Amino acid sequence: MAHGLTLGPAALAQHMIRMRLALMRNSLRGDSATNLYTGVSAGLILAFATIAVAVLWPAYLPLTLAVWLCGWIFGPIFIGGGNEALRPEYFSMLPATPGRIAAALLAGAFAGPAPAVNLIALMSLPVYGWRFGPAGVLIGLAAAVTTLITMVMISRVIVALIGLFVRSRATAAAVGIVTGTAIALCSNGWAPAVALGGADTAAWSQILVRVLPSGWGVAAIEAPWPLALAILVAGVGVIALLLAAWAALLSRRVVSAARGGVPPRRGTPRPFPSTGGARIAAAKELRAWWRDLVRIQLLATAFSYAVVTPLLLLALDVWVMVPFAGLIATVMAAASSANLYGADGTALWLTLMTPGAERADVRGRQRAWLLIVGPAAVILSLAGTLISGLTWAWPWVLGLLPALLGGGAGVIVLLAVTSLVPGTDPHKRGGNPLSTGADETAETSLAWLVLIAVPATALPAAGAILLHPWAGIATGVLTGALCAWGLGRIAYRRLENHGIDLLNLMKHGPSPQADKPTTADLPIQHRIGVTISYVIAWLPLFPQGLVPLVMKTFGIGDRSWFLALHLPPIWQWPTIIFMIALGLLMYGYAILIPMRLNSPSPTTTR
Amino acid sequence: MPTHQEPALRTIGLRKAFGDHVAVDDIDLTVPAGSFYGLVGPNGAGKTTTLAMAVGLLRPDAGSAEIFGVDVWRDTVRAKGLIGVLPDGNAMPERLTGREVLTYLGLLRGLPPAVVAERTEELLQILELDAAERTLVIEYSTGMRKKIGLAVALLHAPRLLVLDEPFEAVDPVSAATIKTILRRFADSGGSVIISSHVMALVEQLCDHVGVISDGRVVAAGPLDDVRGAVTLEDAFVELVGARTGGTEGLAWLTA
Repeated sequence: MAHGLTLGPAALAQHMIRMRLALMRNSLRGDSATNLYTGVSAGLILAFATIAVAVLWPAYLPLTLAVWLCGWIFGPIFIGGGNEALRPEYFSMLPATPGRIAAALLAGAFAGPAPAVNLIALMSLPVYGWRFGPAGVLIGLAAAVTTLITMVMISRVIVALIGLFVRSRATAAAVGIVTGTAIALCSNGWAPAVALGGADTAAWSQILVRVLPSGWGVAAIEAPWPLALAILVAGVGVIALLLAAWAALLSRRVVSAARGGVPPRRGTPRPFPSTGGARIAAAKELRAWWRDLVRIQLLATAFSYAVVTPLLLLALDVWVMVPFAGLIATVMAAASSANLYGADGTALWLTLMTPGAERADVRGRQRAWLLIVGPAAVILSLAGTLISGLTWAWPWVLGLLPALLGGGAGVIVLLAVTSLVPGTDPHKRGGNPLSTGADETAETSLAWLVLIAVPATALPAAGAILLHPWAGIATGVLTGALCAWGLGRIAYRRLENHGIDLLNLMKHGPSPQADKPTTADLPIQHRIGVTISYVIAWLPLFPQGLVPLVMKTFGIGDRSWFLALHLPPIWQWPTIIFMIALGLLMYGYAILIPMRLNSPSPTTTR
Repeated sequence: MPTHQEPALRTIGLRKAFGDHVAVDDIDLTVPAGSFYGLVGPNGAGKTTTLAMAVGLLRPDAGSAEIFGVDVWRDTVRAKGLIGVLPDGNAMPERLTGREVLTYLGLLRGLPPAVVAERTEELLQILELDAAERTLVIEYSTGMRKKIGLAVALLHAPRLLVLDEPFEAVDPVSAATIKTILRRFADSGGSVIISSHVMALVEQLCDHVGVISDGRVVAAGPLDDVRGAVTLEDAFVELVGARTGGTEGLAWLTA
């Protein structure tokens, strides 16, 4: 007879937590272990920094907690819908109500490192409450718990909303625009904040960060106790509402078949052109760009970032970025297209089994990328330069744009075949239309690599522009064409010789006898160091080193957020040199340490 | 020069290990030209790995493979021109419709556009994929994916078809169609290799069989030689040394 139908909510939740921990234990191998340790280390630093804020600069606590909330909201969007260890689909046949399954899944969602780290960060609330006496500590503790649950729930509801409603190009593009805007706000959001008078003086911002769910704890601690109690009760009510919403979304998700983000279509598709070689491959690729919601979302992210970043600086009446929106868009679009072969999965076998198709495929992908990104980047560049009225920008825009477009078209196919990040085959992906199933950390480092490599291809053009504006334009066109042609040639040669290895990397995972250095084999302190270096080394090298170097060389007066330019003149050059050295040192460490420690190839097991 | 006297496929000492697990251990197979060859074996025996190495989709640790005398790993381009392959579980250009996939691959192979259009139309009709004109491959059912994969394998009229589990998840009507197509192909001189664990099907279609177990060939040759006086299924169970279970335990289910 059937048993187990009467499993109580507590028991169900307990099983969920055990299953989640078992999944985590089993996946703690190689790179994912490194990622976890690095993530937890970074998270802990931030958590204790938050407590430090509560002690030292309490006025900024609500703002700091709002940043944590943003992490929960945008984290899952950045990494393609969140890492759902416990998928609701696994439990769709359990004889239990959606509400009960949602509650149990929520319990499972807490059995991970992120909520634990966040709870430590939220201990800043009782620490802050200490200023208001023992009652403040108690309220702070209660608020820490409700705030944590609220943050995790908001994150889950957003993932569920994306999973359910990103079914069309418009919604995918909307998610991309929100993401791009968020990245732009993260990097340059200080500009409008400064323009509006700073976070500590403007009363509206103090109210805003307390009205956000992350700020309710602070509000409760500061309020008289009846109001504090009311705020806490309201917090619990919000949790109940979010749980109900999540349960409803989950039960809809498991009965609606989403297949890898395919937008709806009308009418019979336009026939393929009667051609061959690279042109037919480009036609295939253009259809993929138009029919894949992941690609549409990534493009929207790239272009919205490129448009919003200069707009934010306009708040300070800084126009210097406006002409370069098209250049930023080109680099960002290249960064989001770096895993072209990984995204298509094992479909590569058809290219490999068709005699001579490797060259056509690489060239076709380059053409399609140029056709998708090129016109928009050109329009953005021309419009931006015209509108800004900065005539000195013309040679830079006209010289760098062809260099970057060609460099991008070359770098993306080269990296796609040399640094492929395997994902899940498109037809096997789960209920989340914006996730490729690839290792997000590896994909992100690939994107960083593009962000460094593509601008590097434009360095000759930049140098030539300094000598003579028109020489720069010729150099830009020339290096762009050379990069697209040459790097593409290396890419298809490599695909011809190593395509099978790429295919089997996607089918069976990394080859066990591979002797290339991986961070997974390093001692833990070096793993963390290497990953952190990769993540932040660009900061001293580019924005704090090379950019102020260029600005100081040309006497551009805008100090912006460049530390060196804010210092007394005597310290400016030493600071710039120090920053560049620091960035190079970090990159050197991140690249050389794995090589050195791995040079006697260690015995690895599968 | 490859001729019909050369075997359609010959593998010599193929070997592949994944970490410590040896998936394929020294496999020698000879598929005579014009034969309909069935490769059978239990789950995990190494059928898929063997076929992938034989057609050039997986680099063997040792050994070689020849198609009509052309070395798959030395003269890759020529070998690829001779075969049509249906691998198990690989992705397709997922964002294209069935017609677009065939058109794209035909043109990429350099077939004249008129020929591509004609063959595409016929293949879609015969495999009953023409109704799903607006459906992208990513939205296909498992059976439809098999059928479009088979169409891709047939499109350039190869001399050897290598099909991994071609009948898995295919409905009986489509399976009958596919069988008829394959028989016609074999009768007109083409060579076919299929892998399967449905013995009745292999018995019905194939004239040669190879039995693989634990990465090794345990029997190979004309069907009648391998099965002897019993059915292929009985011979297979005997050969792989398996014991059919299912009679013990599960008292709670039958109470």
